[in-house]
This record gives sequence, C-alpha cells and structure tokens, in this order.
Amino acid sequence: MNETAAPSASTSASADDATGEGTPSVVGEGIRRSYGDVVALDGVDVSVEAGEVFGLIGPNGAGKTTLVRALTGTTDAEGTIRVLGSPPDAVDSRRIGLLPQSFGPPERLTARELVDYYGGLYDDARDPEAVLNDVGMGDDADAWYETLSGGQKRRTCVATAIVNDPDLLFLDEPTTGIDPAGRRSIHRLIERLAAGGTTVFLTSHAMDEVERLADRVALLRDGEVVAVGAPADLIAEHGGDPRLEVAMDGSNPVAADLEAVRTALHTGETAAAVDGPAAGSDADGPTIEATTDGLRVLGVRPEGIGAVVDALAAAGVEFESLTWAEPSLEDVYLRLTGEEFSPRAGGDAAGDAVRRGGDR
Amino acid sequence: MSRLSRVLTEATAAARSFLRRRTAVFFTFFFPVILVVIFGALVRTQPTGGGLFAEPAGYYIPGYLAVVVLFTPLSRVGSEIARHRDGGRFEKLATTPLSRAEWLLAHTLVNVAIIGAASLLILGLVLAVTDAALVVSPALVALPVFIAVAVALFCGLGAVLGALADSQDGVIAASNTVALPLLFLSETFVPPALLPDWFLPAVAASPLTYFARGTRAIVHEPGVWTDDLAVLVVLAAGVLALGAYAVPRTD
Repeated sequence: MNETAAPSASTSASADDATGEGTPSVVGEGIRRSYGDVVALDGVDVSVEAGEVFGLIGPNGAGKTTLVRALTGTTDAEGTIRVLGSPPDAVDSRRIGLLPQSFGPPERLTARELVDYYGGLYDDARDPEAVLNDVGMGDDADAWYETLSGGQKRRTCVATAIVNDPDLLFLDEPTTGIDPAGRRSIHRLIERLAAGGTTVFLTSHAMDEVERLADRVALLRDGEVVAVGAPADLIAEHGGDPRLEVAMDGSNPVAADLEAVRTALHTGETAAAVDGPAAGSDADGPTIEATTDGLRVLGVRPEGIGAVVDALAAAGVEFESLTWAEPSLEDVYLRLTGEEFSPRAGGDAAGDAVRRGGDR
Repeated sequence: MSRLSRVLTEATAAARSFLRRRTAVFFTFFFPVILVVIFGALVRTQPTGGGLFAEPAGYYIPGYLAVVVLFTPLSRVGSEIARHRDGGRFEKLATTPLSRAEWLLAHTLVNVAIIGAASLLILGLVLAVTDAALVVSPALVALPVFIAVAVALFCGLGAVLGALADSQDGVIAASNTVALPLLFLSETFVPPALLPDWFLPAVAASPLTYFARGTRAIVHEPGVWTDDLAVLVVLAAGVLALGAYAVPRTD
C-alpha cells in the first residue's frame, strides 16, 4: 500500500474528535466501494488536515471520483468516514463545497444566474459578483451557460462550488478543458482559498497543477492508495534522477552510439560530474537510454551537462539539442502507476538501456 | 424563512430554465390544444347516440384538463430528474442545504403554475370551440385546488418514474405507458357505462378518476366534490412523499 507516509490511526486524530482546528477535516479508514464485480475502492485510508490542499491523482478508473463521492456522501461506501467530524451524510452542508467531475448545471441560465441560484440555497452566501470575479467570469456573466466555452463553463462551475464560502472544498478535476490563462486563475483562486484557511481536496490529471498546489498528494491505483506524501517527498523517493534528453539529428541512436557515450562518460573527469541513479554512487553510474529521437542520460547534475557534451563529442554523436529536467510528480505518477514510457516497448533499434558497469 | 427561500430559489431556476426552452413551452400548451380541437370540434357523435364522445360536451371538460394535469407533470418531473442525474446536479445538490422534498416541492410549484395557465387556456378553448357550458357557482373556486392537488400527485409519480428509469428516453416511455391508460380509463373520456363491470375497481383505483369526478361535479353536473378532493389530497400527500424519497441523492 503506501510506501512513503501512509496515514494511520496513530498519526491521525480519531474520527470522532475531528471537529476543530488542527484536527483532520477528512478521515477515511478502510473505504470500500464496489459496482457489481468491479471494485472501485479497496480499503482506502485517507486523512486530510484542516487548511491543507490535498491532491488526489491516479489513472482513469483508479477510483478518484468514487472516493470524492464517498467522502461527500453521494455514494454509499463501506468503512469509517468522518468529514468535518460527521458522517458524510450528516455534514453541515453549509461548510462544504463540491465541484463534481461531470457537472452540467441548467444550460439556459446565465453564469450570474447560476451562481445566484446555488448561492440562494444557503442563508449567507457570498456576493455572486465577487465570486464571478474570483473565477474570471465577471465580464461574461450574462451569457447563457450553454453558449459559454468549455473553459468558461468549468470556471462557472467552480464558482458554484465556492459561493457558500466553504470550509472544505472538493474540486474534482476543476481545470479540465480550461486554457492556460484560465487554469492559472483557478490556481490562484485555490491558493487564495488555502491561504484563507479553506481545506481543499483536489483531484486532477494535471501533475504540474497538483505539484504546485498540493501540500500532500495521494496516488490512487486500482482503488488503492499506493503512495501519499508531500510532492517533494514523493519525487525524492519515487521520481528517479535528473535527466538530460539528447535530441539527435533525426536518426535513432544505434547500440554503438550508446556504448560509445557510455564509455566516454566512464572515463576521466566526466564520471565525477555525473551521478548514477543513486546520486553519488560511483559504482552504479549513469543510465543511458535510447528514446524515440535520441538519448536520455539519467543522473546528470546541471554541472555535469558539459561533461556529457564532451562525451557525446568524444563518441562522435551529433545532436540537435539538450534538455535537462529534474524529476517531477509526473515521473512519480508514471512510475507508480506502471505507465512509464519505455522506448523498449517500441522495439527501438538501440535496444535496452545500457548501464555503465552493470549490463555488459 | 430559510426553507422557503431555498424552495423559491430552486423554483425560480426551474421556471427560468423551462421558459427559455421555447419548444418545450410551445408543445406543453399546444398538445392539449390539439386534443381539444380534434375531439371537441372535429370528432362527431354517432347519429344513434352511442359510442365515444356521445356525452354532452361539458362532460369532457375534466378529460381535457386531465391531459395537462396528467401528462405534463409526469413527463416534466421525470425528465428533469433524468437531466439532473445525467448532469451530476443531484450530486451537487446533495452537498447543499436543499433537501429532496424541497426540490420536489419547488418543481411541483413550477408545474402548478404552468399547468394552471395551460388549464385556463384549455377551458377557454373548450368553451369557444365546443358546445360546452360551464356551470358557474361558488364551487368553481375549488377547480384550481383540484388542479393543483392533482398536479402535485402526478409530480410525485413523475419523480418515482424518473428515479426508476435510467434515461430521459426511459422516462418518456414510462410516463406514456402510465399516462395513456390512466387518461382514458379514469372517467375522463370514457364513461364507466362503456366499461365492463369487472374493470370498474381499476377505474376506482385511478387517482385521476377522483379528479374527473370532482371537477365534473363543479363544472358540468353540480354535485358533491369534497369527497373526491379529500381522496385526491390524501393520495397526493402519499405519492409526493414517495416521490421525494425517490429523488436520487446518491449514484
């Protein structure tokens, strides 16, 4: 199950006293939900602290939306769940907000009327104009929902989720279909809400979004939490090494190229500048992989890029560009979900990755 | 205050949403008009005096009213539930203070208003294009009450159908299947004398029968209508409660 920091009864406050500040806003233990023979959630434990932005990631069908539904009481699930100290179906609804993943409000109401409508279901909702401005819809608020663009629709839906100024906000893929500028405005909104003390439970397929916004992230796969922790911790543990992508001149590398670069990297000062997968490990040097358009050298520190360039030159390998990247949450996701891209799957000409000193 | 405010908010949104669907508005009123024109003005009674539509024109006023009182709430509430379910709206509403009973009450109010207007139109049309004469008496004030209570009853039934059917197509098919037999076998267009004796208990079991009997006792053949209204009120309360319970909350 969790390899990093699984929440447990000993690290979370008990479900019954999770009502005030400093105690979890959401506690779920052993959450199970099946649809016929399909197990959507298989004993999920989750704990979200008050004021935290908690990200939930996972492949399609992993159970993310089912978990949101279980926590909001819109599906019946087994296990123990406490939301703001109460069972999901007994939570004070004035304190929570929800943006469902598939949400289609009445189409022939304007954005303003929709926010007004959902706000009207609460005694003391926020000013609709302020909410519309928060999501960047102030100028388009008088258009019928059905005439809005996909991004405007989603932003309007986000507005309906925050109109009651909730203490706990569930956002199920809030930026789906939104352009970069719109996404950024939603990100800023979430950051403002979090700064104001709102607990945010965020599901998303946009790893950069979750990495930027979430204090902690849980990765769900096949209905089970396989990792949970701060993005930086997850990346450190599961993200792998920094990498240098070498784009070659329209040709795939051959095994000889890989071998020549590997040999060049192994010699002299070059080796000292380039770490292996386990940083600093001289015994298990950098991994060189073939990609669809060149090479990938793993474990390269920024100061080692020059050494790689030298090694490429020494090996007679011509290239068009170099791109260096640190590991990200996306790498964690790909690695832990088993969806990591592998050039080997395509029967690349260069064959398997070559590891210095290991695969000879 | 709070509950009333929520119901009015939901009703306002539902009414706006409906009134902006021009096709839906047009056919909601056009459908009963077609029936009145066909059966009230075009279809002629057999010379021998037997068969369908052999009663005086005023006898059929409850039948024409029943068309909108029955069909419109069944299909509208049922379809609205299917639309809400497809759009994840119930999932959203489940996390707001609006209860299922309040939701149904709001949509019932909208239907009462719409069907009240359609009933006025029908009544005017029937009087204009047929030989029907309206009995004017103090009891006439009870006619809107009959309409409102019957609409509420069929809104509740529409909610049940909407919850049971898994799509808008399913709702329409189910509501037609329920409504058509009820419409013609509830002392509306077919007098009980034309039905076999063994079927009469089924007629008595139809809530629409009490609507037809009561409204006929008001507008056509003056008589006691309070008993029919009492039965209708009890049935409406029960079916509305069932409908409120049936409105989906979870997936």
